[in-house]
Amino acid sequence: MLLLIAAFLALAGRCFYLQHFKSDHYLARSIKQQRSRSPRKPRRGTILDCRGRVLAASNRIQIIKAEPRIIKDLEGVSTALAPIVEMDPQLIYTLITESKNPGFAKIKPEADANQCSAARRIHGVGIESDWLRYYPMGSLTANVVGFTSSDGRGLEGLELRYDKQLRGSAAQNIFFADVYRRPIRLKQKDGVLSDGVGIILTLDATIQQFARDELIKQYESYEAESAVAIVADPKTGAILGMVCLPDFDPLEAGSTDPNNFRSRAITDWFEPGSVIKPIVMAIGLDAGAVRKDETIFCENGSYRGKGFGRIGEYRGGFGNLTLRLILIKSSNIGMAKIGQKLGKEKLHDGLRLFGFGKKAGIELPGEVDGLLWPAHKWTGYSVTRVPFGQEICVTAMQLVRAFCILANGGRLIRPHIVKAIVQSDGKITKLKQPPPPVGYVVKPEVAKWVISDAMVGVVNEGTGKRAKLERWQVFGKTGTANIAKEDERGYSQSDYIASFVAGAPADDPAIVVLVSIRKPNKKLGKGYTGGVVASPVAAKILEKTLSYLEKLKG
Amino acid sequence: MYNQVANSIGAVVVLLMAIGAVFVFSASADIGQELDLQKFYDYPGLRQILFFPLACLILFTAAAFDYRRLRVRRGWMKSPTLYLLILSIALLILVLIPGFGTRINYARRWFRFAVGPFKVSFQPSELAKWASVFFLAAFCEKYGPGIRSFWKRFVPACCIVGVVVGLIIIEDLGTAAFVAVLAFLMLIIAGAKWWHVLAPLPFGVLAFVGVLVRSPARMRRIAAFLDPEKWSDSVAYQADQSLIAIGSGGLLGKGLGGGICKYGHLPEDTTDFIFAIIGEELGFLGNAAVIGLFIIFLWLGILVVVRCKDRFGQLLAGGIVLAIGIQAALNIGVVTVVLPTKGIPLPFVSAGGTSMLLSSAAVGVLLNIARQSARNPTELESQDE
Repeated sequence: MLLLIAAFLALAGRCFYLQHFKSDHYLARSIKQQRSRSPRKPRRGTILDCRGRVLAASNRIQIIKAEPRIIKDLEGVSTALAPIVEMDPQLIYTLITESKNPGFAKIKPEADANQCSAARRIHGVGIESDWLRYYPMGSLTANVVGFTSSDGRGLEGLELRYDKQLRGSAAQNIFFADVYRRPIRLKQKDGVLSDGVGIILTLDATIQQFARDELIKQYESYEAESAVAIVADPKTGAILGMVCLPDFDPLEAGSTDPNNFRSRAITDWFEPGSVIKPIVMAIGLDAGAVRKDETIFCENGSYRGKGFGRIGEYRGGFGNLTLRLILIKSSNIGMAKIGQKLGKEKLHDGLRLFGFGKKAGIELPGEVDGLLWPAHKWTGYSVTRVPFGQEICVTAMQLVRAFCILANGGRLIRPHIVKAIVQSDGKITKLKQPPPPVGYVVKPEVAKWVISDAMVGVVNEGTGKRAKLERWQVFGKTGTANIAKEDERGYSQSDYIASFVAGAPADDPAIVVLVSIRKPNKKLGKGYTGGVVASPVAAKILEKTLSYLEKLKG
Repeated sequence: MYNQVANSIGAVVVLLMAIGAVFVFSASADIGQELDLQKFYDYPGLRQILFFPLACLILFTAAAFDYRRLRVRRGWMKSPTLYLLILSIALLILVLIPGFGTRINYARRWFRFAVGPFKVSFQPSELAKWASVFFLAAFCEKYGPGIRSFWKRFVPACCIVGVVVGLIIIEDLGTAAFVAVLAFLMLIIAGAKWWHVLAPLPFGVLAFVGVLVRSPARMRRIAAFLDPEKWSDSVAYQADQSLIAIGSGGLLGKGLGGGICKYGHLPEDTTDFIFAIIGEELGFLGNAAVIGLFIIFLWLGILVVVRCKDRFGQLLAGGIVLAIGIQAALNIGVVTVVLPTKGIPLPFVSAGGTSMLLSSAAVGVLLNIARQSARNPTELESQDE
């Protein structure tokens, strides 16, 4: 029996050894197996339009989940769960058996409170809360807002560009867990949970709706390849509407052609054609290369010379034209001669100042620079072609910026779509507006003349007649650009980009609209030019937007 | 009637049972459990709280019962020990019959029957263990020094014990080995020549190895015992978890009720591995206290044996103290992974009514021996006549 006492003393020694010398080792092992983390997901920031309408928001949902590794009676669980979630038991069975994660099989993503409390009683079934992103405006703002992946990462549009800010910062609770990894009690909190910031856009869903309705009508009836419409406030550069077609439904992003995700207004460049003429004319006037009242001989439909080849008109020959009439009749030869008078340096620098060849700087991902060759690479061809929109590639957004500058009396603006940031505590921080209009790209009187004289003339007497409105004096410029052939030199004779840039009212422009429709089907016989295809759309958007804004002002 | 040794033993045992009740309650904690007091008997924690006073009652009732009536001096037929042994052998046979015995954890060791609303389970091997102790004490006392005779006395005793062990070994190797070892120790104390023990030893070893080889699970357990962390996912899981529980407790423990291992990580936490839970929640301090109580119990037991002038009392007290002491040492050895995993409960502390109530009864007898020996032996004799 003394032996037995000795044995007990030895066992006490063993305990001391385990609990003193090996304690750290076992403590580390116990923590490893007894700790479970439960992520606390922050709410993703809301995206609102300028009037507070929700474009994207996250709602809290309850997920009914099963934990495959602890379920022994699979069939029992499936049949018990089926009536609660109103699903086929066979489906639940497959969901559980085919889950790759032994600790998580999603059964029902959006469960209501009754379903949750009933499901919770089944062994191996649990509830997890999550956020579900939804887009109440659907495809209306899909190209701008973008969408997120199912695990909440921004994949396109603003969701991608502002992913970090929208996402907020996640935290986690570390629990002591039982063998089934169910939490017993809190051990510590890790990280600070803060919801994502909200974003208020300059975009107005109503204007966006106007633009989309009109654009989609024309896009469909002309069987076009793609189409873009942008509505902007020339005084601030705020984008009020931006529609790119074809677009997509953010809920069905998974089954959509990824090409439709992009905002073509900033990712696609093209040779603008005649719409660029007013800009070049403004540069020429500002530089003193031409005078407002100057008359230029526009030949008789064909202008040929050493070093620049032959330039033709779309239609007929014009003879002598004033500057104003060059725009109204959209004479290529007239513009080429202005280009020659300006010289490549001044023309290049002027276009640079209007923002061509570099990103417009809008807060959306994927914007491209466009293409404006440096002056030293220009040939005699360039200086005569660029003035009517060839040998230069632009994005729709760059065009809008240039015409906003013109409509703003030559003062610089920066296009932007984010108006303000809402911190998670509700504080609204207005974003710094684009640099104050210190720089004049062209003299105000030049800008004024181009807008309210020449471009008004285009609408009243020229190629943009279809854009005339009764209540407002519209200014505009058409453009029908040939699309360069991909495989050989020269331009296609069947593929065009029909554009129209417009604004109103001419004496104090409140709105600038650009409509650009790519490859309207010429074979339909309904026309293909900017004046026919694009200008009616621009006019309708202008009309609706202006009366909407008027009503808002009361 | 009252004597210090007896009171001290009683106090130690009650203290152990109190610790047991507290820790079984703590270890039976589960998350998401709703206590339905109508069915309180289904919860081991609450059941143990019921058994605790019951065991105390049995302890002191048995202490009032004169142990000498268990003797066989006046013939086998008048001794309760024989009937006890026969009863336990019968129950051991009965429990093997599928209709009567209930399987728990793949072993048919229990009777389960309903008493009113309660589902009571009873483990006959526990009874057989004590019956063997009592029987051997009575047997050795009756034949006195005759036990030295190999063929006439030693072999029959071995045969009887062999029947009991043989019946237990079918379902419970650990308890069987324990009963066999206990029996030999008692025979040696009673004066059997130690080399006599060598004779049945080959049979015992043969049976032991036979059972071991027949069951691959047991073989793996032995292998796992040698390197618990390597096998920690499968067979040595329990041993490994036990070490984690004890080791992570440190010197002072995580605090009463603060353990985590009891939430499913450590299986059998309320029964065989309760010592690990004590270690986790109260640390080395708690474990040392429990070991200390058993050492005090052993010391007091030795005192009872030495002071007892009656040979039957000496043998019986020795058997009881040995049974409890060895069992406790084996259990703690298993929990601290000094020994391979065996299903042996920690006396008075582990959950389990059969073990606790029967052990209490046995200690009650021990208390009685202590009290009787304090009296004048002549007075005893006269009372006896």
